[in-house]
Order: sequence, then C-alpha cells, then structure tokens
Amino acid sequence: MATVQVSEAEKVYILHGVRDDLRVDGRGCEDYRHMEIETDMVSNTDGSAKVTLGHTDVLVGVKAEMGKPRPMVPDEVHCCFAWKFEGRGGDELGMELSNTLYKVFNNRYSVDLKSLCISRGEHCWVLYVDVLLLQCDGNLFDAISVAIKAALFNTKIPKVHISEDEEGGKEIELSDDPYDCMRLNVENVPCIVTLCKVGHRHVVDATLQEKACSVASLIISVTHKGTVTCVRKVGGGSLDPESIFEMTETGKRVGKALHAPLMELLQEEESLGKKRQKVGFLG
Amino acid sequence: MPTDTKRVRGPEVSQSPSLFLCKNAVKKSTASNDARVDGRQRGQVDVRSVFVRCGLISQAKGSAYIEAGNTKLICCVYGPRETERKDETDMKSGRLITDMRFAPFSCRERGSWIQGSDEKDLSLMLLESLRPGVCLQKYPRSQIEVNVMVLENDGAVLAHAVTCASMALADAGIEMYDLVLGCSIRQEGATYLIDPTFLEENGYNLASGSRENLGSLTVAFLPSLNQISGLQSDGEMGEDTLTGDVRTCIEGCFKLYPVIQQALSKAVRRKAPPSES
Repeated sequence: MATVQVSEAEKVYILHGVRDDLRVDGRGCEDYRHMEIETDMVSNTDGSAKVTLGHTDVLVGVKAEMGKPRPMVPDEVHCCFAWKFEGRGGDELGMELSNTLYKVFNNRYSVDLKSLCISRGEHCWVLYVDVLLLQCDGNLFDAISVAIKAALFNTKIPKVHISEDEEGGKEIELSDDPYDCMRLNVENVPCIVTLCKVGHRHVVDATLQEKACSVASLIISVTHKGTVTCVRKVGGGSLDPESIFEMTETGKRVGKALHAPLMELLQEEESLGKKRQKVGFLG
Repeated sequence: MPTDTKRVRGPEVSQSPSLFLCKNAVKKSTASNDARVDGRQRGQVDVRSVFVRCGLISQAKGSAYIEAGNTKLICCVYGPRETERKDETDMKSGRLITDMRFAPFSCRERGSWIQGSDEKDLSLMLLESLRPGVCLQKYPRSQIEVNVMVLENDGAVLAHAVTCASMALADAGIEMYDLVLGCSIRQEGATYLIDPTFLEENGYNLASGSRENLGSLTVAFLPSLNQISGLQSDGEMGEDTLTGDVRTCIEGCFKLYPVIQQALSKAVRRKAPPSES
C-alpha cells in the first residue's frame, strides 16, 4: 500500500490516542470519514460512480459487453476487474486490489449472474468493472467497494432479443428505446471494511499515518444480512486469534450498518431524476 | 493472455476432454453419511497424514518436500543474498521474496508456464504468512528467496505451501521466531471438512442444502507464539461459523506440529551427525 513516513513521537501519539478511543482527527475508532458519492458521471459507460472518502478518490465505470460464457458454467456470466495507476510501485498494489476484489465478488450470490445470461452456452453479458484511483489517502478497499456497489446500482444494461433466422442462425436485436434496459439487483453486493490493528485496539477507515503505525490489517467483506463473504489478513505482522475474532465482530457490525444508509442514498439520488444537480469532478 | 515466446507452442485452441464428460457420469457425492471419499470423517479434525523430507536439493541453501494425500509440493530457499534494488529506503531489515508456481500438469486442466494472477495472489499470501515468522532484522540489506513449486494439486495447496516453505527456511538455517504451519478447511452447511481434497474444495453438495455457510478458509499459524500470520477466506459464512473454523484450523496446525518438528530434527542430525565421543 502507499505509505507515508511517520516519526516515533508521532507513532506514540497515535497509539495513545487510539487507546483512549480518540484519533488524530477527532473520530472514534469505528467512525468513517466524510464520504461523498455521485453516480452517473461518465455518459459513455453503462454505469459509473465516484466516491470521495476523506482525500481518497475513486472512480468506477461499468461497461457491459456481449461475450461467450466460460465452458464450465454455461449459464453464468463472469465479471472482470481491471485497474490503472500512474507511476511506479502501482503494479503490486493494483494486483492485490484486483485479486481481492475478484475473490469478494466471485461468490455466486453477490451479483445475480444468471440474470445476465442471454442464451445458454452462447451469449452472455460480460461486465467490465474498471476502477480508477484518482487519489490515495488510505483505506482504498472500502472506497472501492462502495463505489462498485453504487456503479452496479446505476448500471443500465440494454435488453436484447434473440430471434431465429430461416437457416437457424441466431440474430441479436437491441431494442430501439434507449431507456428500455434492465437493472441489476445489488442487494447482496458486499461492502468491504478494513480494520487496522493499532496498538491493542483496531480502527476502521485508517488514514495513511495510522496505517504506518499498524502491524497488520484485516479486510472483511460483509453483505447487508451480516454474512461474511471474504476475510483476508494483510500486512507483515501477525495477529492473536482473539484479536481476529474481535475484529471480525466489529467489521461485521460496521459493515452491516453501512448498507442501509447507502441504499437509501442511492435510491434518493435516483428518484431526483432530471432535477439532480450534477457536481462532477471539480465540486 | 501473455504469449509465451520461449517455448514451442502447441495448437492455439485446445480443450480438455473432461468438458465433454457426461454429467451423470460424475459421481454422486456421499450426501448423508459422515465419511468422506478418502475415509476421513466430516466434522472432525482429521488432517491428512503428511510425508515431509528436508534437504533434497543440494544446490539450494535449504529445501523441503511435502506430500499430503495426493498434494505434492516442493520448496527451495536461496539466501541471504545481497539485495538487487539499491533504492530501498529501509535498509535495516532484509526482504523476503516468495514465488509460488503450479506445474502445468499439476491440476486437472493444463495450466500455462506463465504465472497467472491467482499464482501471484498465492505468492503474496505466502509472503504475508511467512514474514512474521522470519527474523528479517538479522539480515540487513539482504534478500531471502523462497520458491514453491506445486507438483500435484489435490486441495489445500496454500496451507501446505506455507508449511513446506517454513521447513525449507529452517533447513536453510534462516533464523525464525517459530515455524509457520498452514491448515485449510472447507465449510459446507453445518459440517466442515478439514484439509479438503481438490474435489471437496471445488464441488459442493447441493443436497446438504442451504446457501448458508458455504466457503473455504486457510489459516497460517505460529504454534508456540499462538499468533495467526495469515488468514484468507471466501464464500459466504456467518461470523460465528468463521470463528469456529479458525479455531478448528488452529487445532489442525497443532496436530501437524510434532510431525514437522521430528522431520526437521532428523534432517539436522543427518547434515551434522552428533560427534562420537
């Protein structure tokens, strides 16, 4: 992960603060920073969302294309994750991000993959989810997962009809109406919560300074029902089994509490329709 | 897919014949009874018995071979060597570099020689699991390379790779706080299958029912220090099931510990036999 250098005195300051449930910017151990979400920013995509969490800026674009399903699972679609960074050192970070995201979303219940099948064994929708990191200020996974959920909520996939020719060849017809599209059910899409172990306590939504003081973090992805879809320990340190159990419990609680307000917000934004004021990138 | 220019390539598109296998011919898994295919029990800490041997590869500083059921892995350790990157800002401790590869004939479908993204992910997980166990501050400005090659994949590959790699590190004489042992578990509904085989990992029993609690978990554990150095899970599980599974994996690691210790002490005695007095 991108790191920042922290002096010993600063580390002690952060550790003592976390011990008393008071972080450097005044938050409690389980509070998120100010989050701003906007969807439908990029008109050429089928769905897009931009999330700003503190100074971390993430833009996700979803494009749906037609392709062939994998031979082993003929009636399911697959998701591909791609990432892009500038500058060096981005490769390993990008790989870690895309592999973890793939594990989180590869679960068969997250996105209803069967609904994206057009004709069994021949055509299906392939969703390309492209994540662009505009600014990194710690806690990338959380921001990216919220952005992916918002972008998938916003995705409008056009309806297609398959018609048969006289010779038996299949023709694909797209409906003429640009608003005739199907939406994805994002109820079960999980959100990722990153918990960093700082001293003897753990914090949610760590900044880069707090990350530099922690030995290890736990990434948990939680659905709205509270089931845990993926757990992963990152970082070069080791954790006590008891700490892991505590962190899992906290992560589940925080993650579950994240879903309801997010869905409400997305639905509110959707309902504003044309009246919505678009803020864009410079807002 | 990156193209491979170093080898003589076969035809562009080829498929495995198992795709055309008639679905009815696939075995009906033993749904109701407790026994698994290889005779072990569900819901009990019944890890596969392992065969381990150190010091096979004379060219490497340390090496180890592990066999658990049909899963076969080999690991080599080279180092400490002088580090290549001179722009490293933190020179106070050494670096650990891990590389995990699958032989193309190791899985059911033929893999490619070029490292795919899941191999890179497994290498990263291996690095994170081993790093807490190695005393890297004793090797400043050096790097230690750990290379794991999977010869046959019959399930729980990451867990056995962790065990094999820590044995190879010990065989190489790298100073460590403790051995790192790995254990894998597959949760299916209400029961768990510890140390699953490849079929158990990838197939699932629809008959045993619900969508709840279906997933796998791999834990890397340091037994004497009681610390977890690596944890990875996927699939959907409730939080208490996850907690229970972690405890079960820790038990599995404790079962493996004496075997590994014995194999290591045998290897040390072979290398440096005690002097006759």
